Amino acid sequence: MKNLKSFWAKTLIFLSVMGPGIITANVDNDAGGITTYSAAGAHFGYALIWSFIPIIIALVIIQEMCSRMAVVTGKGLADLIREEFGVRVTFYAMTVLVFSNIFNTISEFAGIAASAELFGISKYLLVPVCALFVWWLIVKGTYKSVEKVFLVACLFYVCYIVSGFLSKPDWKTVASSSISPSFHFDKAYIFMLIGVVGTTIAPWMQFYQQSSVVEKGIRIENYKYSRLDVIIGAFVVNIIAIFIVIVCANTLFVHGIRIETAKDAALALKPLAGQYCFYLFAFGLLNASVFSACILPLSTAYSVCEGMGWEIGVNRTFKEAPQFYSLYTAIIAIGAAIILIPGVKLVPIMLVSQATNGILLPFVLIFMLLLVNNKRLMGKYTNSKFYNFCTISIILIMIILSLILFFTALIQ
Amino acid sequence: MNIFNQTFQKNISAAKMFVFFSQLMDKPVFDSEGRDVGEIYDIVVKPSQVYPLSHGLIIRKGFPNRKYALVDWQDIERLDKNEARLKIDKSRINFGEIHDEKKELTLRRDILDQQVVDTHNHKVIRVNDIQLLTVEQALMIAHVDIGTRGLFRRLGFEKSIDLIVKLFNPKARYLSDERLISWKYIQPLTINPASMTIKIDVPQKNLANIPAADLGDIFLDLNVNHQIALFKSLNLANKTKIFTNIDFKTQRSILNEMNDLELSELLNNIPSDEATDFLEKLPREKTKHILSLIENKYSKRLSQLLGYSGDSAGGLMTTEYIAFTKETTVQEALSQIRELKFKSEPAQFIYIIDETYHLISATNFRRLILATPQETILNSAFPKTYFVHLDSSVKEVAYLMEKYKYFAIPVVNEENVLQGIITVDDILSQLVAFAWRRLKKIKIIQKA
Repeated sequence: MKNLKSFWAKTLIFLSVMGPGIITANVDNDAGGITTYSAAGAHFGYALIWSFIPIIIALVIIQEMCSRMAVVTGKGLADLIREEFGVRVTFYAMTVLVFSNIFNTISEFAGIAASAELFGISKYLLVPVCALFVWWLIVKGTYKSVEKVFLVACLFYVCYIVSGFLSKPDWKTVASSSISPSFHFDKAYIFMLIGVVGTTIAPWMQFYQQSSVVEKGIRIENYKYSRLDVIIGAFVVNIIAIFIVIVCANTLFVHGIRIETAKDAALALKPLAGQYCFYLFAFGLLNASVFSACILPLSTAYSVCEGMGWEIGVNRTFKEAPQFYSLYTAIIAIGAAIILIPGVKLVPIMLVSQATNGILLPFVLIFMLLLVNNKRLMGKYTNSKFYNFCTISIILIMIILSLILFFTALIQ
Repeated sequence: MNIFNQTFQKNISAAKMFVFFSQLMDKPVFDSEGRDVGEIYDIVVKPSQVYPLSHGLIIRKGFPNRKYALVDWQDIERLDKNEARLKIDKSRINFGEIHDEKKELTLRRDILDQQVVDTHNHKVIRVNDIQLLTVEQALMIAHVDIGTRGLFRRLGFEKSIDLIVKLFNPKARYLSDERLISWKYIQPLTINPASMTIKIDVPQKNLANIPAADLGDIFLDLNVNHQIALFKSLNLANKTKIFTNIDFKTQRSILNEMNDLELSELLNNIPSDEATDFLEKLPREKTKHILSLIENKYSKRLSQLLGYSGDSAGGLMTTEYIAFTKETTVQEALSQIRELKFKSEPAQFIYIIDETYHLISATNFRRLILATPQETILNSAFPKTYFVHLDSSVKEVAYLMEKYKYFAIPVVNEENVLQGIITVDDILSQLVAFAWRRLKKIKIIQKA
């Protein structure tokens, strides 16, 4: 009886702490992510599923450090970078972050436009409506209500799991290919692998997660629940990614259909997996795009204002936090407007967003490593030697991968 | 207060006496023989005065293996925007791995780019630059810069941006409007690693002059560590002021950092209605523990109050009121009021009771002052006194107070024994929450 009671008490604490980790991880499955995973499934079948296991580990290790820094110092990542590395470094980092997130936001609105076409709605209607909704949500909401909406959006990702079951995969093959890594020395395969791993850890995630943990005011004695939040987030997001790969592998790969975008994938699914699977896939894309289009501008405005020392606004009015709301509004407006330009080319936008992410990510990860090992800030909560070893190897791999992505983006 | 305008409008090029810390940072340092020593890294200041004076210079050299050395200010020949020259020989400077001046305040580590409290505008701000004044041989902290121009100066864009702005609008506000805040209004937030407190300059006492509600708002803008450290550094009066003006989540995180002695000291000083508001949200065991720490008489009263539902008259009332027996003369009553000490400001009503606390009537200060000193207070009482019962609802209480224009209304039990009073501010906060649903939003609107 007593065990049961303490179990409920623990569950309650977890529910109150839960949020930042799960939300941040889920935004990772945005329009760009879904495109990459669909292509991975369609072109290589189950051959890339194994890579999600190391991705889970990397995601947990990196995001856990953010969470820990937030709980121990009570400050956001941009705050800490400003205080420890000065204004110049912060300014340039923030400039690149704004630039890269504008392009990311554009690609989210591209996802909204694509799903509009799938549902047979004009994109000139759906994109402005979604932009207004996203803007209204933050300007009129409070942190708590916004977080609840985000958590609900996370639930909708279930539709990918359902569509995965609808495609009736062969579970034995899925299981065996996720455990045994199969590596092909083939240029296309390696690029796809880099694409899958490279989209997993983006610079804005660390800023967003740390700020939202700070905003929640999680105390050190509840930190273990916050870590659980990060771990669950990493698992959930990758399980959903695996299901996207399964759907595409099981239908498109088998029939040898090649796709370029998530829209292609959904359209190709229609005759192969049926009406329901198509609608679920399309709805998933819409949900993911709207959700990420909320978080990216929010996270950008948040980090920039933190770093530059301007008032931050989810709980404030426009008059009190003018920079915050201007930046937030501008990013959404630019993102939505560019997609509505008739005949706009999306591929260069995707490439620029990948390139800017690639420039920024190594710096952010190195800053994090220096900060999390700073005794004055972290006290006894610095990284252990083993943890540092893991972190440094992940950081090195991520840097190499993002550099390759960056240069291929440049060459193309 | 508005006479002291915090944003001084100054033309910097004309004021040669002033120098920005960003203009000194990373400039070369030479010894008495003109040999290169390193670069200016940080300045140590003596925090004892209202405007702290420079006390030492921290020099940095080497990359990537950085080394630091502290030089006494007296050993500096001159220091300007171009370079620093020392009076001493290079060999007399000892470089070490770290530069932690734990006890002293240093500009780069403790102020520049950090958050500080602006006690004039009641806000938490981030410092973009520090303006120093040359006083004889030393430098004095005059202002902190929190403006956009300070940011551009740090980035090295000041001149080019100035030029662009002048090109478009030579009279632009940007060029003349410096966002400088006088140091006397600045409270740094450096946490002393040994005592885990923040040093507050006693002569300034600026924090104490901030209205309680604003102090609470400033507090909510700080991060958890600063909140706890600042709280510990305050005196009891300010602690009480802050504690009753912050949200429950923050109250709890502070509570966790306090030992039993501090806790009992604090709770003994909080008015009973505020204390019950806070205690009833805690888990039952925690409440029990805290009650055991408080003075016996007060804790009995609190646990009784905790028994009432939060939105009934019993839950809203405070047990602090002024009451006299009906035989008391006006003169006696007035002299006793002068000597009374209260945790909260009681409304201007005085209740008249018999020996066993049965409510008879009420009077107010005005009536008491106008009455003849020798007669009993009963003669100056209102013709009729309205009251509510312990289980009366908020609506009933509000209705009666509005109808009879009361600032406070007495609460009695079934036997007509006086239990406490409900003041207008408690009812108002209930009604405001009721009307707008979210009290938080109101606070935001007020701040704007």
